[in-house]
Parts: sequence; structure tokens; C-alpha cells
Amino acid sequence: MPYAPPPGPYGPVPVPQMYGPPRFHQGVHRLHPVTALLRAFVFLLIYFVLIGFSLLLTPQEDGYAFLEPAAVRRFALVSIPATVAAVTVGVWGWLGLRFWIAGDDLAVETGVLRKRRRFIPLSRMQAIDIVRPLMTRLTGLAELRVELAGGDGSGVVLRYLGRRSAQQLRAELLARAAGLPGHTPEAPERPFWRVPFGTLLLSLISRMPVIGTGMLLALLLMVGVAFVEPGVLGGAIPALLGLISAVVAPSIVYGRFAVATSPDGLRLRYGLLETRMQTVPPGRVQAVAIVEPLLWRQRRWARVDVTVAGYAGERQALSSVLLPVAPREVAVALVAHIFPGADVDAVPLVPASGRGLSLDRFAAAGTDGVVFVARRGLLCRRTTVIAHARAQSVRLTSGPLQRLLRLGTVHVDAPPGPVRVAATDRELSEARAIVESTAERTRLARSRTGADPARWAR
Amino acid sequence: MPAPAGDGAFAPPPGTAWNRVSPRMPWHWRLAVVLRGIPVAVVGGWWIHQGGGMAGLLVWVLALLVSCVLVWGVGELSYRSAGYLERADDLLVTGGVFVRRLVVVPYGRMQFVDVTAGLLERWMGIATVRLHTAAAATDARIPGLPAAEAAQLRDRLAHKGEARSMGL
Repeated sequence: MPYAPPPGPYGPVPVPQMYGPPRFHQGVHRLHPVTALLRAFVFLLIYFVLIGFSLLLTPQEDGYAFLEPAAVRRFALVSIPATVAAVTVGVWGWLGLRFWIAGDDLAVETGVLRKRRRFIPLSRMQAIDIVRPLMTRLTGLAELRVELAGGDGSGVVLRYLGRRSAQQLRAELLARAAGLPGHTPEAPERPFWRVPFGTLLLSLISRMPVIGTGMLLALLLMVGVAFVEPGVLGGAIPALLGLISAVVAPSIVYGRFAVATSPDGLRLRYGLLETRMQTVPPGRVQAVAIVEPLLWRQRRWARVDVTVAGYAGERQALSSVLLPVAPREVAVALVAHIFPGADVDAVPLVPASGRGLSLDRFAAAGTDGVVFVARRGLLCRRTTVIAHARAQSVRLTSGPLQRLLRLGTVHVDAPPGPVRVAATDRELSEARAIVESTAERTRLARSRTGADPARWAR
Repeated sequence: MPAPAGDGAFAPPPGTAWNRVSPRMPWHWRLAVVLRGIPVAVVGGWWIHQGGGMAGLLVWVLALLVSCVLVWGVGELSYRSAGYLERADDLLVTGGVFVRRLVVVPYGRMQFVDVTAGLLERWMGIATVRLHTAAAATDARIPGLPAAEAAQLRDRLAHKGEARSMGL
């Protein structure tokens, strides 16, 4: 590929070391033993907050007395059995979960007395995430998630593994899924891009809705202080919450964002408190969108959103960002890496018909041999890209108003996700021609890529 | 039957013709709407009679007649616009009255095909075939096929889908 990663002015991303000899490809394994204690601890914490604390208090005429001898005896009487129960539950759960690699499947068995065994076909794997919630970062544990296509609850979560074991298991699962023997060392990765925290924060702030809300908040507070009017809090608190969810939360979630490429797919690492390490194997990205809000365009910044089939529901919202902010060229280069041979900026875009009722003068669509590109958005510009080889179906729709104007919309359908590719307001005859040519191109692209993209290394 | 004028974009590919659905399809639609409409018509009529007397009832009956004509027309239009065509590598489905649509589904992308028939549909001997892909937006429904044809189409589609299946 005639492509080199753009020179990173922020220094290279540290390349992870090897994680010792492989060990998961044979034998039966359990979660990290500390998991049992952790679960018992959580159970006890809930017990203490709900029941235990109130046992320590003795009601008296003027309020409560704390740690009366009788209360301590009572507390011990209830707490000791509760502790035993918590530890039993923790150990029981730990004993009950076993997993092993059976041929091309990851087998997970749960239950001590009644056993339930699940086989997860690795060739159908859509993504592997290693998540380290804040609590487990202190203990050196990590959570491993394997996502399958098929929505909520079709994947598997191993909670918790040791940090190194999680990375090693991921490497072995990826190697298996690629069709290589399990003892293949982890694929080397090449740092692609790292988002500096300052850029991330600035990009989150410099958006019209955020600036507008910020100004509203400032105005409300000024009015509130000037006229000593507490009523402004009714508007100020929602505005503040909005700002937190639009600026503070994403900057914590996507802080220290780094993208790396490897033969096993894309590796994303991010998170200030809860760190996540996502691996999306090749061919699993269904569609991408390059998003350029109005205020980002002078700086030529862009965000890359993505649809991966495995992420459903709440996970989809969390995992839909492939690059929270980067120069546009980097975004385009990343898309070229995801869909080999695609150059989004080289695809000739034909503007939508001027007869349409929408004010959107940026609406345009175009195609080449590899991808279908549709652009829209007057203020926040979205360039949506789908590879012909990944298109699920092609649709032409024409609503009542559109039919009066003899216009139609061409949709190239991808699995549910944040990216919807649609060329709006095309002339009807042109739209039909686009449908036919896109259907033909998707057919050619599918026959070119071969039958099954599952075994990418073979 | 000639396609309504101005819908060249939804015409079958040159040299082919749409496979039409059963002529019972519009009747099923009309019957379903009327059955659902009867309680509304009766309750509404009684209520208007209470409030507006004979004149109100007359207006109500007139409105019902107009809606019947509309329902009749929509049924006819949906029958005329519905069609499907099996090509070498994909299935074309068209239809729709208010929003016209044309869907191209490659056989290799089909996840499953289902055939549904409600009580009324079973009584009329028709069924609805629906193709599902990994994209929820794919709206490939063929309503009102004769039951036997629906079963055959399902089997053919399943067979072709299996031969060309390519996962995600």
C-alpha cells in the first residue's frame, strides 16, 4: 500500500512487550483467583451500606449512639455469617467458570452443579476488548470481552483475568481466529496515531452546541448573581450537566487515545480512569463516517465514527469512535487502512439535485471500485464511507414529496450502528442507475474478496 | 398491467418483468383495514350521533365512504407497485404506495428468510416472505404471495443463500 503513517509529532506509542510463552491453547483455565475475593468484597460492601451500618447505631432519645457494646455484638452476630456467605458466593462463582480453547471455538462452562457450556466460534469474532475498570487497575486485573455479530448478549465476558493473561489470551484467540496455530506470537503492531490530551479537550470544547451551552450557562450565572435569583439554577444545572456529558465525560473516556495497526487488525487504547484496549480484526469494520463539525473545519480536524457488527446497544455507543479527533489527512489515511485501496478524497463526488427541498448544499455522493461515499451536513459535515464488499443491500426509496420533485434516495445498508450511508435527493433516473451500478460493484467486490473473510491470515 | 406513469425508476430491469403478487393481496389489505375500522366507525358514529344529531352522523358516514374509497385505491396501488425478481446473484423487491422502494439484496448477504401468514392471510391462502440481512434497514418484504409460491420462493432463496453465504 503506498501509504506511510503520518509523522507523529508526539513521539512513538510504546510497543508492548511479549507476554511469555503461550499457555491457553491447551488445558482448562479459570479466572484469576482474586476475582473470588473481589466479588466477596463487593457483596460485603453492599451488605454494609444497606444493613451493617444501621446495626451499629442504637436509637436514643437525642439521636443515635454509635458503637454501643450491644450494637457491636449484634453487628458481629450478623456480619460473620454474611462474610462467610459472601466468600462462599465468590469462591463458588470462581469455581463455576471454566474456559478453554477447543479447536476453532472458545468454550466457556459455567455452573458447579448444573453446568452450561457455550462454544464461541472464533471465526465469527467481531472484536476483542480488554477493559480495565478503575478498581481493577489497582489490583492488576483486566476484563476480556469477545464480541460476536448478533447483538446484545451474544458475546462473552471473562471477568477478571490477570492483566498479562488477558493480553496473552487475546493474542492466542486472534491467532486462532486468523487460522494460525495458537502458539503464534502476538502480531507486531505499528503505531498509527496518538491524540494529545490538549487537542482532545480543545476539540470537544470548540463545537457550536458546547459553546452555545457554555455561553447560556455563563449568562444564567451572571443574571443569578446580579439579581440574587436562585431560580436560574433551574436552567443552569441542566446546562452544566450537558457540558459535563459533552466535554468532561468524553475527555475521560477517550483520554490518551492511541491507534495502532497490526496484521490482526486495528488496536485502540484509550481511557483515563477505565482503560480499554480494543482489537478490531480486518474486515470487521462495516462502515465509517468522517465527521467535521463547523468549528473544526478551519483547523482541518475530523472525527472517525465506525460501525462494528459485534457492538450492540450501550456498547455500540461506547465503541463507535475510531479516532476522536485528528487532522483530516490522518482520518482519511485511517479509512484507507480499514478499506484497503480506498482513497476517500479521490472519489469524485456528484452534488445532489438542486431541486431538493433540503438546504444542505454539501450533499453529494460518489463511488469508485472499492467504496461508496455519501456526504451530507450543512453545519456538521459527515462523509460516510462503506466498502462495496461490506454492503448488505442497496435500496432506492422515494417519499411523496420526493416523487413530486422526481427525486429519490439511495441507501447502501450496513448493520445497525452510528453510520448510515445514504445519497439523498438524486434524480430518480440517476438514482436507479446508481442502484444498479452499486449492486454490480458489490457483486464484483464480493467475488474478489473471496467467500469468507473469517480467516484473514490464510 | 402497466406501471403507473412517472415511475420509470422502479421499472423492472430491461428485458424482464416483475413477478407479481397474488391478486388477493389488495383484498387482504382492504379487509384488514375494514375489520380494524369497524369498531372505530361504530363508536365514532354513536358518539357523534349523541353530540351532533343526524347531521353529524351524515358527515361521519360521508367521511367513512371517502376513507373506504381511499383504502380501495391504496390497496390497488400497493398491488400494482409490488413485485419481485430473482436475478443470478441478487433479489429485487419493489413496492410501496406513499414511499416507493426498490431493494437489491445479494443472496450471499441473506441471514434468514421467514414466511409469515396471519389468521386472515391463512384464510385467503396468501403469505408474506421477508428477507433478513445483518442490516436492520434492509426492508425486503414481499407481501401477499400465494402460500405455495411463498414456500417455494423461501426454499429457493434459502438454497441460493446457502450456496453463496459469506458471513459478515
